[in-house]
Amino acid sequence: MAGVNIGKAPGNRTILPFYGTGAIFFLLLTVMLLLSPTTLKGRYFQPHLLAMVHTAALGWGTMVIFGASYQLLPVICERELYSSWTAMLSYFFLTSGAIFLILSFWLFRTGVIMITGGSLILIASLLYLLNAWKTAGSCKKYSVQKCFIISSAIWLVVTASVGLLLAVNLRYPFIKGSHLEILKLHAHAGLAGWFLQLIAGVSTKLVPMFLLGKSDKEKLLRWSFLLQNTGLVAFILDGYFNGITWRVFLYEGMVIAGVIAWLIYLTDVYRNRVKKKMDFQMKYVAISILALLTSFLLIPAVYYGADHHWAIVYGVFVFLGWISAIILGMTFKTLPFIVWNERYKNMNGKGKIPMPKQLYKENVLNWQFRCYAMALPLLALGIFMHIGTIVKFSGIIWVMVAALYTYNVAVVIFHKRRV
Amino acid sequence: MGISITDPFYEEKQIAMNALYRVVDPELFVNIVDLGLVYGLDFAREKTIEVTMTLSTPYCPMGEAITTGVRNVLSVEYPTKEIDVRIVWEPKWDHTRISDEGKRQLGIRVETESFYSPASSGKTYSSRI
Repeated sequence: MAGVNIGKAPGNRTILPFYGTGAIFFLLLTVMLLLSPTTLKGRYFQPHLLAMVHTAALGWGTMVIFGASYQLLPVICERELYSSWTAMLSYFFLTSGAIFLILSFWLFRTGVIMITGGSLILIASLLYLLNAWKTAGSCKKYSVQKCFIISSAIWLVVTASVGLLLAVNLRYPFIKGSHLEILKLHAHAGLAGWFLQLIAGVSTKLVPMFLLGKSDKEKLLRWSFLLQNTGLVAFILDGYFNGITWRVFLYEGMVIAGVIAWLIYLTDVYRNRVKKKMDFQMKYVAISILALLTSFLLIPAVYYGADHHWAIVYGVFVFLGWISAIILGMTFKTLPFIVWNERYKNMNGKGKIPMPKQLYKENVLNWQFRCYAMALPLLALGIFMHIGTIVKFSGIIWVMVAALYTYNVAVVIFHKRRV
Repeated sequence: MGISITDPFYEEKQIAMNALYRVVDPELFVNIVDLGLVYGLDFAREKTIEVTMTLSTPYCPMGEAITTGVRNVLSVEYPTKEIDVRIVWEPKWDHTRISDEGKRQLGIRVETESFYSPASSGKTYSSRI
């Protein structure tokens, strides 16, 4: 099997804008948090909070995940990315859509701006699905990772479609059911469909790669895929036709069982790893998993609790805990390699060149971690205890986290070749 | 990859292997020889050196950087020869191919009990992890 094509990563022009823009949106999110801390005391359906949630989900989470996925899809699917041009196009639609949506929610201008924003996001998600589908080859060579990636992309399209319908409904009401009930379905399609399944699929390929680990428990991943999707489909169908009832716990149980199967697989990889020295960034993975499990534990409180603060704490653990932790850590496991590959690839072996790990400021990353480890529990505590001062103080630390992160991302992206 | 002293290209292969120690996997910070990624060197053709090697992961984004590194270092030692890098996925690479030095650099505990491992790089013996 000589002369096998080892593939080429997509160009930096395709990938780097996602990372850079994601960092700016994260900074914006934390500034919003600082400027509007009282938002977190109210109900979840309010303009500023909706703006923050969409900044976190689209501008921050989806933006960075799109960029990382376009880089990693070829690794996971063992073939080149279907279309770099489509990837770049999705960047423009996602960025403009996020700006339109965030602005329309913050000012609460329903109508053209909000509907345009929703439409742009839907186009971006369709372009992403096209790239994922064509690159993964629709599971011809069966791999559960490919199934996770394609299903997550489909869930993203479902989420964006429902979101667009909700945006239209705010201006031109046509949905017969409760807008807020559909909003819950929209949110969970995004969380348990898009984010959870993408992270599950990608992590089961990347964690063994980073740790040089392996597991023969592939069966667990197939169960994980089946349980997560069955639970989510049942939740959405039952929720749509019958409303949110106690049966939500049955579906939650299925999704949690799927998550546990996935985590057992990762634990097995960790136990059977060759690389014993753990990278600093892997600490973020631990926090991310803890935050995800905490958010699961909060669901009964969200459902039964008369106090709407539970829903906000739940959102904090999901967006600023689970999703943000994985991005804050994994950015510096992927971005420096992407930049290094372009700047130094042709110089490898020629002389002393910096390694990817030396492209970012390690002390800044350490401070970012310390601040983050303080900011997350403080914010959750402040909301839980109804103490505005703690929420405000945590807001300052969140801005510091985002500023340190953005600075380090800029250092990597604008790195000049030293040799 | 071991080189037999009876190999007609023993000296050339030793020079090439020494050069390949300078090619480092950017993710693992260990050179490709100690990682056991180099499977073979062929000097049989007059104008070409054929390097048979693998990568730790198919479609590794760093794959091109590594193969470029191989060409770069061998071009310095053998400027008149063409370097042909052939990537293979069989036999599949796994951690048993890492040399003791590579294991030490990766923080893998190397026990004193030894066993014969034909896959170990350069050296005849490697240790069980």
